[in-house]
Amino acid sequence: MTIFLASLGFGLVTASVLAVAAIGFTLQFSVTDVLNLAYGAVMIAGAFIAYVVNQAGLNVWVGLVAAVVACSVGSVLLNAGVYAPFQRRGASPITMVIVSLGMTLIIEFGTQAIAGGTSVSYTMAQGPTVGAGGLELSAVQLVVIGLSLLVMAATHVLLRYTKLGKAMRATAANRTLARNCGIRTSRVITVTWAVTGALCGLAGVIFAMDAGSFDATSTDLFLILILAAVFLGGPGQAYGAMLGAVVIGLATEVSAAYITPSYKYVAAFVALLIMLGVRPAGLLGARVGART
Amino acid sequence: MKFTTLVPRPVAAVAALLVAAAAVVAGCSSATSSGTGSPGTGSSGSAPSGSSLTIADVAPFSGPDAALGPTYLASCYGATAAINAAGGVLGHQLTCKSVDTRGDPADAVPAVNQMFATTSSLALVIGCTSDEAASVVPVINSHQMAMFCMTGQSEFDSVHFPYFYRLVPPDLEESYAMVVIAQQLGYKRIALAFGNDIGSQTFIQPAIAAIKKAGMTLTTNQTLDLNASTFRTEAAAIIASHPDAIMTEALGSADPTLFAEIKQLNGGKMIPIVATSAAISPPFFKAAAAAVGASTFVANFHADNLVTETSGPAYTAFSAALLGQQGKVPGTTGNFTTYLSAPGGVHLYDGINLAALAMIMSKSTSPSVYGPDILTIGNGVSGAATCYSFAACAADLKAGKTIRYEGPGGPTSFDGFHDSTGIFQVDTYSADGTVNVTGNLTAAQLRALSG
Repeated sequence: MTIFLASLGFGLVTASVLAVAAIGFTLQFSVTDVLNLAYGAVMIAGAFIAYVVNQAGLNVWVGLVAAVVACSVGSVLLNAGVYAPFQRRGASPITMVIVSLGMTLIIEFGTQAIAGGTSVSYTMAQGPTVGAGGLELSAVQLVVIGLSLLVMAATHVLLRYTKLGKAMRATAANRTLARNCGIRTSRVITVTWAVTGALCGLAGVIFAMDAGSFDATSTDLFLILILAAVFLGGPGQAYGAMLGAVVIGLATEVSAAYITPSYKYVAAFVALLIMLGVRPAGLLGARVGART
Repeated sequence: MKFTTLVPRPVAAVAALLVAAAAVVAGCSSATSSGTGSPGTGSSGSAPSGSSLTIADVAPFSGPDAALGPTYLASCYGATAAINAAGGVLGHQLTCKSVDTRGDPADAVPAVNQMFATTSSLALVIGCTSDEAASVVPVINSHQMAMFCMTGQSEFDSVHFPYFYRLVPPDLEESYAMVVIAQQLGYKRIALAFGNDIGSQTFIQPAIAAIKKAGMTLTTNQTLDLNASTFRTEAAAIIASHPDAIMTEALGSADPTLFAEIKQLNGGKMIPIVATSAAISPPFFKAAAAAVGASTFVANFHADNLVTETSGPAYTAFSAALLGQQGKVPGTTGNFTTYLSAPGGVHLYDGINLAALAMIMSKSTSPSVYGPDILTIGNGVSGAATCYSFAACAADLKAGKTIRYEGPGGPTSFDGFHDSTGIFQVDTYSADGTVNVTGNLTAAQLRALSG
């Protein structure tokens, strides 16, 4: 029971980081129609921006804000400078995927060329640890979980109760129809890149805080977990991404408690395959019908 | 899909992007050279007089083991600077070149092939760690290029590659050394936590056997996926097994992350660590100290390391050569003096000196010609004068003397497979990253755990 509770706690932390990243990724995909595989590379670039700020003597939370802003701006520029021109020329989805793969390499190895190949850590205190019945979480991990819940709530409010959120949903459902209804879809898309870029930066920094030590290639495996969470929940489904993140996060950590940890990702992906076999559109895809 | 409307401009842009990406990848993964190297006549023939000779550091410069490449490069910069200051080799100046294997055989072989295709002045290869040695050593050997490798893989104990030389012991001996250290420190219950890379996995079976033979208890054996970002479950399993110490080698961010998570989950207390010699490097210290705090880390850390000299003429020449390169070596980080104790830093410096002196002795820069003289100079012959630096040894050679080179790694004794294995010492760190030698391990202690 103790090990189960402990792994449950680990799973919650992993799920929290994953949820922030997956929400940004799936919102970006649903509204912009770009399966941006460079998302993980932008995440780690954000983590390094926070590191630079932190090494300059500032608090890592200041670095987090800097990373959020930088990744937001960077994502808008990435779209304006790279993805949008291709889309305007009618590039196929697979072409866009290849372009995003190219951007992954450029950003990731560019970061590595600047930051070096070795791993780094933030100068920060993890704070006191609180525990109960085997569940042990540091103050920073509790903050990460809190931030994740905040992002989930904010996403819900954004999509359900704001004009922008409704415009995003309309653009995601049918861009042409949305434009014909008077929604300025190009502006919505730009704002979406800014919002999801900010989430990407936030995810990068809390990923690095959670890992404790990171390098330029640290998000390579994590990107696959993001994709798993997104497709488990239903591609384009913000709520699905939250649910998918929780399932993947818990599955990896809880399974590791009972089988050798080497196979924890295998267990998560077996669960994903079984789930998709039963519900090909994802956990929420079939129920909701249209993209959120 | 509107392929017909896709005008050439975006296609060109895609191509440009991919080419740029490839260029960046190539820049990271293959080769960058230092100094003013110019092509010679080919790897297996003597280079034209006055041209530069290249020493290639074939090692991970990126990926989890990225700390290894710069460590060897520091050694190369130090050795070549001292050699060039002493007049070079047969009228040639030496330069260093980094070849990034990413620690992955799949990346290493193309990188090495590219190195041979683009480096006509190549005279020696160093590095070739356990991550990539099994795949690149046959390739380098087939090009008849001499190499000093940092692999401890046991296959090189019994397979003869004529151009392969090694100044480090087999991994199984290093596993025994870790167990001896644990014995000396009074630990009875041992947990293993090794990375899932080739270089780390080779330690596990010998360590398990030695733990059993020493009468200790193996509490758990955790394999760390070096691509994973957290190891909380592994940390919890280790803590739950109640070990006295953890034996580990998981480079990159893995070990520091594991240490931090163990400390968090263990009520703020670290479990003592017994690491391999790979942990004696500035990047490892920097990352581990940042993860758990320098004072906590140094209070709980021991590592085996090959015996290296810390005084005397060989050490004096070595430290002057290496420290003269501080701030000049790409990729180096942290306390530069740590490189004076890093196994690759010391023994590859010796390897480069041995090769350079062999070139002078044989009057050839061709590995097929100078190779046998590496053994002659390393093992010495009857009546040979012992010398301790390239400059002194080169002067002796020019004076017509027979020499035996003895560098900061101590005397060498190559066997029929060109292996010269030293004995081990016990290292710790100070809070500023300085390496301290706290003891020595005897060959008898290691033998007691073998078989």
